[in-house]
Amino acid sequence: MIKGKCWVADDYVMAYDIIISEYWTSPIDPAENSKMVMAGVKEEFNKENAFKDNDFTFIVANHNFAGGGKSIEHVITGLMGAGIKAVFATSFARLQFRNAINYGLPFVTSDDDIHLGCETGDELEYDADKGIIKNMTKGTEFTSIPAAPFVSEVAASGGLMNFVRNKIAKGEPIK
Amino acid sequence: MGMTITEKIMARSSGRDKVVPGELVWTDIESVMTMDFLGKQCFDKFRSLGKTEVFDKNKVICVSDHLVPPPTQKFANMLNEWREVVKQHDITNFYDLGRQGIAHQIMVEQGHVLPGTISIGTDSHANTYGAVGAVGNAIGVTDAAVAMATGKAWFRIPKTVKFNITGKWQPWVMAKDLSLHIMGMMHWNGHLLYKSLEFTGPAISSLSMAGRMTLCNMTVDLGAKNGIVAPDVVTERYLRNRTNEKWDFVTSDNDANYDMVYDIDISDLAPTIALPGKLDNTVTVDKLIGTKFNKAFVGTCTNGRLEDIATMAEIMKDKQVHRDVNMILVPASQTVYLEALQAGHLETLIKAGVAIDTPSCASCAGLHTGVAGDGDIVLSAGNRNMTGRMGSREAKVYLTSPSVVAASAIRGEITDPRTFDI
Repeated sequence: MIKGKCWVADDYVMAYDIIISEYWTSPIDPAENSKMVMAGVKEEFNKENAFKDNDFTFIVANHNFAGGGKSIEHVITGLMGAGIKAVFATSFARLQFRNAINYGLPFVTSDDDIHLGCETGDELEYDADKGIIKNMTKGTEFTSIPAAPFVSEVAASGGLMNFVRNKIAKGEPIK
Repeated sequence: MGMTITEKIMARSSGRDKVVPGELVWTDIESVMTMDFLGKQCFDKFRSLGKTEVFDKNKVICVSDHLVPPPTQKFANMLNEWREVVKQHDITNFYDLGRQGIAHQIMVEQGHVLPGTISIGTDSHANTYGAVGAVGNAIGVTDAAVAMATGKAWFRIPKTVKFNITGKWQPWVMAKDLSLHIMGMMHWNGHLLYKSLEFTGPAISSLSMAGRMTLCNMTVDLGAKNGIVAPDVVTERYLRNRTNEKWDFVTSDNDANYDMVYDIDISDLAPTIALPGKLDNTVTVDKLIGTKFNKAFVGTCTNGRLEDIATMAEIMKDKQVHRDVNMILVPASQTVYLEALQAGHLETLIKAGVAIDTPSCASCAGLHTGVAGDGDIVLSAGNRNMTGRMGSREAKVYLTSPSVVAASAIRGEITDPRTFDI
């Protein structure tokens, strides 16, 4: 069970705005990437640690979260470094959906219009096993689409690097 | 039930007779591409997996494209580290400054992508590889590191959406217009997310390889997993002198299952423009006639090929770029640059007042070479127009085809190339 405060996007959130172009060439590092994460999404986040200092645990978004292209992993490490433990959205852009899976950060799809039922600052509880997202502030509940077994397995290993590293170390085939 | 071309490629690459959408498989990878600003991190991660030698040093393709030639000391230092790490791993195919090009152009043009196989790259426009009947897919450095170590990547089998394109291409209407038209029609908001897009029909058969590359390139911006054109005689002719490796004509089965099928007749397709900010906010050129701009740009993995440059030269011959416009052309690779030079196109364009720069991603990555400043209005034949994409967040970027950019640069305002006096 993960508990914490959510930030709700009011428009499409693009990967470009999560990490703005001057930081694309930075090293991939949660501490570094989180300093200016979300800098392009809102003016108020466009200063050092501005998003991070809010201590959000969840992001609630609409369609195509982290879309607009860009395969850079800084987007995921930036969010993780800022303390984000899960992102709930109607849909995700595939490049970052893939990166999130590889880092074990839950990008959780919900058929419910969860972005309409939450406001920034609401306290949420996410039960990954049951796939239930509760909004404690409003007393509402949403259901998520369960992750594929492979995705859970990668997350349990602490990400794809560990998953593959373990297989290589044990001499197990990757299939 | 048969399979689509993408399903077939994923099945054969994972050693299966059949796959169905939704299934998760590990597949063999033909080529793994990485480039200057992410490449060192790929190699570092690769080594952290406990490996020292890549799965096949002929199949890890390294390209310098985003940072070259280095405009700052920071980039120069990054490039030096990159060169060192490529050398250390004894990579056969290293396209460094002097032999460079935009990675996706290099991958296809140098024969590193084969029909019927899967190739991946650490840049979103790796979808371009679908032009030769391959599955081309963009991945992050983690997937690249894993593929460098194992020759494999994981995929969920996508559902396929078919675009059946009919009709006759009108003069000055280009594949880019079709891409932008589909962008406007399908939007970013989920219709094509994770889908495989298959382009077929008479107007695709008659489309050049350059056009097919443009079309497949932009599928990533539709949210799709890949875009693909089945190999045919155009592919065969294109690949003849580029690879000695064997490949076959893999195509979709007649009874393959499609998630959706769209029919588009391009006979009356008009030059199309995406308005600043969002790619799917498209209009036909007539809605913007007379719109002023001060910068014009042709280049990128979307529209920096010989055919694009030839089209520009044809429009701009014996004319002058308008005095209020700065125009830059960046050919997609050294090969393209040389071909355009030999064909006389560059002379035509230089005489017209076009600045030509050495191949790189240039201002499309917002990093260097003609970046946009505050208040700039750019008419670009690149692939993205989001706020800040080409530099300043106070600049505006209109996206369109090279023919619209060329005709408009002469007039100093957005112009329909079909009515332009050539």
